[in-house]
Amino acid sequence: MLFTIGDYLAGSILGIVTALVVRAITWPGMDMVIAMLVGMAAGMVLHLVVGLVLSPCLGMFETMMPASLIGMYGGMFFGMRDSMAAGSATHAAAAGVGAIFGVVVVLGVKVYDAILRGTVLDVGE
Amino acid sequence: MTDRVTQEKWDAASRTFDLFTFADDRRLGPHKRRLFQKIRGATLMVAAGTGNDFKFFPPNLQLIAIDISPRMLERAARKAAAYQGSIDLREMDVCNLDFPAATFDTVATVCTFCSVPRPVVGLRELHRVLKPGGQILMFEHVRSAIGPFGILLDLMTPLSSRLGPDLNRDTVGHVQKAGFRLRRIENVYLDIVKMIEAVKDAAA
Repeated sequence: MLFTIGDYLAGSILGIVTALVVRAITWPGMDMVIAMLVGMAAGMVLHLVVGLVLSPCLGMFETMMPASLIGMYGGMFFGMRDSMAAGSATHAAAAGVGAIFGVVVVLGVKVYDAILRGTVLDVGE
Repeated sequence: MTDRVTQEKWDAASRTFDLFTFADDRRLGPHKRRLFQKIRGATLMVAAGTGNDFKFFPPNLQLIAIDISPRMLERAARKAAAYQGSIDLREMDVCNLDFPAATFDTVATVCTFCSVPRPVVGLRELHRVLKPGGQILMFEHVRSAIGPFGILLDLMTPLSSRLGPDLNRDTVGHVQKAGFRLRRIENVYLDIVKMIEAVKDAAA
């Protein structure tokens, strides 16, 4: 149970950090493609840092896989939004959306894990 | 001959190994315990590490545990002493095993073939030292077959392999290439962390 709470907390923290860092390095009017690439790169670097810090507490793969999706896709989405000034005008709003995005990704990975988990081959003795 | 580069890498990793596997031990431990319930007969554990996985073995086994890293084995000695059974620790490279053919009934591995530089060579050595009809029980992480996850693991491997394991190994394929017959595969986390059971056919 504690690990599950930790997974969601880690996802929301990474979502918030990614959203705020992307907000800081992109700006309205920036070429959207460039903003998306910059956001993706920033998100990937952040996921490695956050993943390294949290994996002793939550497990390597349980941290790394959702974190990589949050970093990569979150960075792209937030970069796209911020280059177009398309919502979340304040930093608090951007952080809130980042947290929601992180939690949704963690939930999605958990659902996918539940689908994939289990025996995939069993030919007996 | 021992692979010195790999040995030095894991000697260095031994200092922080227990820290980085703390949560994995708790989250994945029950699965390892379930897998190792299937151990029977003379048993070889490959890549003992710091001995974190000894506690997942059933009690009263008499097994040999090897690792390429003497620093890892130093840390494993205390945990081997605490095990309710007998664990004989030896420094050895899985690609060059100092055992006669057909010595063991079971080989057990935990996150080993993400790190062995020549995995098929190592698995062939394990195939050699297993008795006909012997089994290999593996708890391993592999490359995901799911597009985005697989690509991410590919991207992270150049970094991870400097400090520890590769993240994009096709260990199931390597097991088959080494001559084993797959008996059972179970996904433990996504399609990345797996329990793999394979056997050396009696005719082999």
